[in-house]
Amino acid sequence: MKRTLGALSLLFLLGVLLTVASPSNGVKFGPGGSEWTKYRYTDEYYIEHGVEEVGGTNIVTDIVFDYRGYDTLGEATVLFTAIAGAVALLRPWRRDGDE
Amino acid sequence: MMLPYLIVVPLLGAFAMPIIGLLGEKAREAWAVVVTAVTLGVAVEVFNTVWRGGILLYTLGGKGPLGNGVSFPVRIVWEVDLVSALFALMVTFVAFVAVLYSTEYMRHDTGLEKYYTLVILLEVGMLGIAITGDLFNFYVFLEIMSIASYALVAFRNDTWEGIEAGIKYMFVGSLASSFVLLGIVLLYGEYGTLTMAYIAKMVAENPTFTAKVALGFLIGGLLFKSGAVPVHMWLADAHPAAPSSISAMLSGLVIKIGGTYALARLAFSVFSLGINVRTMGWVIVLFACATLIAGNAMAVVQTDMKRLFAFSSVGQIGYILLGTGIGLAAYGSDVGNLALAGAIYHTVNHAIIKALLFLVAGAVIHQIGTRNLNELSGIAKRMPVTSFAFLVGAAAIIGLPPMNGFASKWLIYESSALFNPLVAVIAVIGTAFSFAAYIRVLFTFFGRPSERVLTAREPGKAMLVPMLLLVVAIIIMGLFPWYIGDRIMVPAAKTLENTGAYILALTGGA
Repeated sequence: MKRTLGALSLLFLLGVLLTVASPSNGVKFGPGGSEWTKYRYTDEYYIEHGVEEVGGTNIVTDIVFDYRGYDTLGEATVLFTAIAGAVALLRPWRRDGDE
Repeated sequence: MMLPYLIVVPLLGAFAMPIIGLLGEKAREAWAVVVTAVTLGVAVEVFNTVWRGGILLYTLGGKGPLGNGVSFPVRIVWEVDLVSALFALMVTFVAFVAVLYSTEYMRHDTGLEKYYTLVILLEVGMLGIAITGDLFNFYVFLEIMSIASYALVAFRNDTWEGIEAGIKYMFVGSLASSFVLLGIVLLYGEYGTLTMAYIAKMVAENPTFTAKVALGFLIGGLLFKSGAVPVHMWLADAHPAAPSSISAMLSGLVIKIGGTYALARLAFSVFSLGINVRTMGWVIVLFACATLIAGNAMAVVQTDMKRLFAFSSVGQIGYILLGTGIGLAAYGSDVGNLALAGAIYHTVNHAIIKALLFLVAGAVIHQIGTRNLNELSGIAKRMPVTSFAFLVGAAAIIGLPPMNGFASKWLIYESSALFNPLVAVIAVIGTAFSFAAYIRVLFTFFGRPSERVLTAREPGKAMLVPMLLLVVAIIIMGLFPWYIGDRIMVPAAKTLENTGAYILALTGGA
């Protein structure tokens, strides 16, 4: 029963996502021309101003380390957290030390 | 401007912990306490600034949020309104208390430098969520918070339940996070920006089908994180299995900041102008009613003390969701404002109360070694201070008048009765269940001492002082309920409802 409901709701989600992914109803794929400036104005800005504002010729690193550097700091923290968590969980059990 | 230090200080604390840890046990405990105390100080300062001066906007790496010669934001912004500042204050206070408590409570465990690192990272994650004004940045900090809490739930890796609960929490939580990420991806694909306030503007101008689907995914993911009823099963396992200082933070903070706060922020600040708020509100109210009944009813039948508190947390999340839902469904009216104020008030109150209750449970487990309520009768004779703290916490969570829980629950009852009497009836039934659950524990505490309890003693100062700090906070907040309600909670609800001002703070600030 639960399994059937789960499968049905997954099917429903898939249908909704397919609707959203079709260009006539939802997100446009490969926008060009006027659609590019309508949907990707932020990217346009990064490409136009990236070199003069940041100084790097690689737009991706300009964005990742300057415009959105705080997210990168956050990602580094995620990695640090994951390592701290894994090391904490893989430490020897308490009773091993006592014996 | 003290705002950046809200992140800088705990982040430095966390990254420096492995090095400070080399100096020995005392040094890392002192470092953790100092870092959380300084963060608390910064949060007080930020709250004070925002309370006096309105919304605070901070652009990372630029003078203003907007790009050169254009009218849209290109950098990450922090947008701190009264609600964010209040919740940041709540996070830092409970985190400080929990760290202070851990210095004695965790003494018998190993791997403590990782423990303190993870606790401070948990705090960083929650603060980041509270202050951010950027959707992807919100996701990054949601992940920091989630990953730190997965590891902390399973921290006692030599217990079966710790590992089991950790795995369960991790699978469910990762699924929920990916839902949130999918929602953000859809929003970016449709609107081309990640700043919350600017998306709000774009959604208001052009509400599309994609925005509705994205909202659905975001709400779904965040209901997982807050432990609302159809998806609360991870919570009832995770909170009992975690060390008690962590349960206090999980139950008091994580499910609220990563769940209900994020839900309210997205619903009010991003979607309220473009999407039908009435429908959105009713969806949340339905989940809230189910959560209220099921969470509190399940709490009555538990024999495990921490499991009882965990289910009670689910029930209390129901009140917060109810307030948020009514705030949306009756958007713009007095009733909606009152309900939202009640929800914000109850979030803060419940964070303090449930932190206290879990710290009490931790003290009992630490001193007696069992959490089975049937073996714990008569603790009050041997541990009077702990029992007194429990008495205060239980009275506050049921909502007895001299405690802080009364005013917040009253706001929610009153507004739900004005909104729809049936919903108010459900809220009262939930409270009746919660009353039954806590009275049962109270009778256990004050009964005839059982054999196990006869040799019990009070815990040390480092565990009693944090509990008493929370008791004092509950009583002081309980003495001035309407003053706090009128001066802080109602204005906070108004700023959250005022989406126009949220957008204007971004676009008009150039």
